[in-house]
Amino acid sequence: MKYRRILRYHGLRRPRLRASCLLYTVRCLPPSKLTSSPFQRVRQTWNKYNLYNLMSLKDPRNISRTFFQQKWTAKALTRGYHGEHIKERQWDRMFSRRLLSVVDMKPQYMATNDGSEQAAGRGSGLSTGQPKSVNKPTPYMQMTFAPMERRLDIAVFRALFASSARQARQMVVHGAVKVNGKKMVHPGYLLNPGDLFQVNPERVMTSTGKPRIRHEKTPYERKMRNLAKVEELIAEAKRRRELRQKELSEQTAGTRGKKQGGISEAALKAKNQRDLKALVLRAKAVVEAHHGKSKKKIVEVRALVRDIKDTISRAARRDSDVQQTGDAVHDLGVLVSKLELSKEDLTQKAVEDAEAARTGDRFVKPLLRLNEREREIVEKELQEEMENPLDYSKPYRTPWKPRPYMPAFAFIPRYLEVNQKICAAVYLRHPVARPGLAEVPTPFSETVNQLAFNWYLRRG
Amino acid sequence: MPPRIHTGCSPQLLSCLDAAPLPQRTATAAGRPSWPQQSCLLSPPSSSSAPFSTTAPRDMNRKQRDFHKWLNSVKEQLRNPPAEGNKPSYLGGVKSSSDSARMRPFPANDKFVSQPVLSEEAREKIWQSVMVTGLPLKAVSAQFGVDMRRVAAVIRLKAIENEWKASFKPMALPYAKAVMSMVPVADLRFSDKPFEPINDIHVHKFTQQQLFVPTSESRHFTRADAAKAFGDHILPPDEKMRIPELIQFERDVAEGVKPQEAQKKFIAAAAESEEELAEKEHLRVQREEARKLRIESGRFEFRFEKINVDSSGKDGKSRKGVGWRYGVPFNDRRRAVVKIPTKVD
Repeated sequence: MKYRRILRYHGLRRPRLRASCLLYTVRCLPPSKLTSSPFQRVRQTWNKYNLYNLMSLKDPRNISRTFFQQKWTAKALTRGYHGEHIKERQWDRMFSRRLLSVVDMKPQYMATNDGSEQAAGRGSGLSTGQPKSVNKPTPYMQMTFAPMERRLDIAVFRALFASSARQARQMVVHGAVKVNGKKMVHPGYLLNPGDLFQVNPERVMTSTGKPRIRHEKTPYERKMRNLAKVEELIAEAKRRRELRQKELSEQTAGTRGKKQGGISEAALKAKNQRDLKALVLRAKAVVEAHHGKSKKKIVEVRALVRDIKDTISRAARRDSDVQQTGDAVHDLGVLVSKLELSKEDLTQKAVEDAEAARTGDRFVKPLLRLNEREREIVEKELQEEMENPLDYSKPYRTPWKPRPYMPAFAFIPRYLEVNQKICAAVYLRHPVARPGLAEVPTPFSETVNQLAFNWYLRRG
Repeated sequence: MPPRIHTGCSPQLLSCLDAAPLPQRTATAAGRPSWPQQSCLLSPPSSSSAPFSTTAPRDMNRKQRDFHKWLNSVKEQLRNPPAEGNKPSYLGGVKSSSDSARMRPFPANDKFVSQPVLSEEAREKIWQSVMVTGLPLKAVSAQFGVDMRRVAAVIRLKAIENEWKASFKPMALPYAKAVMSMVPVADLRFSDKPFEPINDIHVHKFTQQQLFVPTSESRHFTRADAAKAFGDHILPPDEKMRIPELIQFERDVAEGVKPQEAQKKFIAAAAESEEELAEKEHLRVQREEARKLRIESGRFEFRFEKINVDSSGKDGKSRKGVGWRYGVPFNDRRRAVVKIPTKVD
């Protein structure tokens, strides 16, 4: 949506004046200082404009207005929020004057009383001298729009899988939502208690994450760039492997039996894997050192970490060749050391190289540099990197971050049980009212909801 | 904004009059390039109503300015999730500093609060005690103070999650982490308050009316009698409770039975009722299968079901009847009739 249209949608810009709405505008324009503007509408979105409207939402001033006018305004306000994208006739059919409520029965009370004590005395219970505990009143009127919460699109929005009800509706229409394992394309499907709905996690991440930066390359360009980079890496690794094999063959020709005589193949393999793990840590340390430096550098390093992960998984396979793993260790070691560009690192590397040349072992020594705390940090970073990688092929900004102002809208009503990892939720039951609380998430006060309820009663 | 000079003629004409002596400007104070003013007739229409004014026009109305001012003031609290830990922040907390308002996402509605959701550890605990320890659902519900339906849902969802994990299907991990840092969570620790009421009973419409029942003063009028007075089919709350075994448990405790003993008894009773339910369901499925005849051909499975002709009722118009019947509308392919499915199995 364009900026102006967003503002109009939220009532922060006057609607375009047409002859038909001119009269309405003139009648409603001078708002009292106490009330919010008649145009300001609260919507089902996580928009910052909506946040402002929620903050400035006040009950309309109903003094010296007819009952019809009061109801009309209340209906207009509430319908602007509850299923604003649904036609009035559809809602009219859904509306129910039966408002669900529950009371909590305490087993302890039930076990010790059979109810007759309430009829004792003169019919209203024996007076014990202590003040009777009074239950808070049940806010029935806040349940006016409860049937709306049964709709699939609104449930998807309430489960925090979409950033607005309209977006949730689009998800359903585009086939990204399943109900009980079957694709459901009707946003108006009314969930039954026990229904399990699932949304494609990619869609959820797209709609709730920050959008991709505009000036990033197109998906095709990105793909080609990545491909070229991968090919380059593969070619380089191959070249180095060949070089090393040549070196190794020369070495083994010279010192056969002397160096590897005492070490079994299994031990060598174990050592290689240990080296790999240590290498990952070292790479991560480099990543940390480069954080906050050029963006290009970070991208390179992340690509490298991905390579390392691949190598580890390959090396972890039982049937992997010792020689192959050793080569991988070598290649990655070279890559990592290439990234160590700071002066300190270079000097340290020179020292290590000298040491390695002396001891004949190239990789074990420098990896012992990390202490326990650093290792923890590096491991955490690595875990985060694995879970939330930089990936240009995604339709959202990577690494994934929630949209701005999402925390202000993040609540999950009790009639849903949500598993965020798999982006699935169960509609446990219909929303209910209980003493002091109503489960329908509505931004309006009881007065407004009651007036709206009365409006629909007339037709119900 | 400085006062503007009010002249009788239009600003365009004015600019035309003193065009000749003025040096050509390349840009105004607002940063917009101005047109070289040569001829009054040929010059393109100016976008501003006062091209001689050096003050930049305000590009926002009052409401929009208010909005930006307010938004900047709450940026710290509401824009980004907390850096560490779980600290939900809602609009209610911005508007008022009272403790009860802190959990209100809608400041105008004090009847709605953001209630805690089960944390990852809590879900794991529930899953462990049902799937590993093998406790009945009712016992787990009573132990953690979590509704039975929620316990079942947690296990269903966990099963899918485990399936995904086993097949290396990518999950929305950063999203889950972010949401969990934004919403209030409950860990279901032993010392915590119960998560939610587990023995809610629905308020039946019949019980919402005021009723006068004449009885003798000496009569012992219990909950069961009250239920009967409201209607023949109204059940007393003892039978409507989701875990009625808990009443017996409390009774035992009140009578002085050791808590461990009472608990054992409760778990046994819960397990028994669960088995009964499973048996009932099994019988129902069997009965339904008995009505069906399945024939497997290579490509299809043909299913024949026995139908009772009388199911369409005396007048033949009952909704339970099968197939097309005279006088009963059959709207399967009618235009403008809602055909959204009402349930998905």
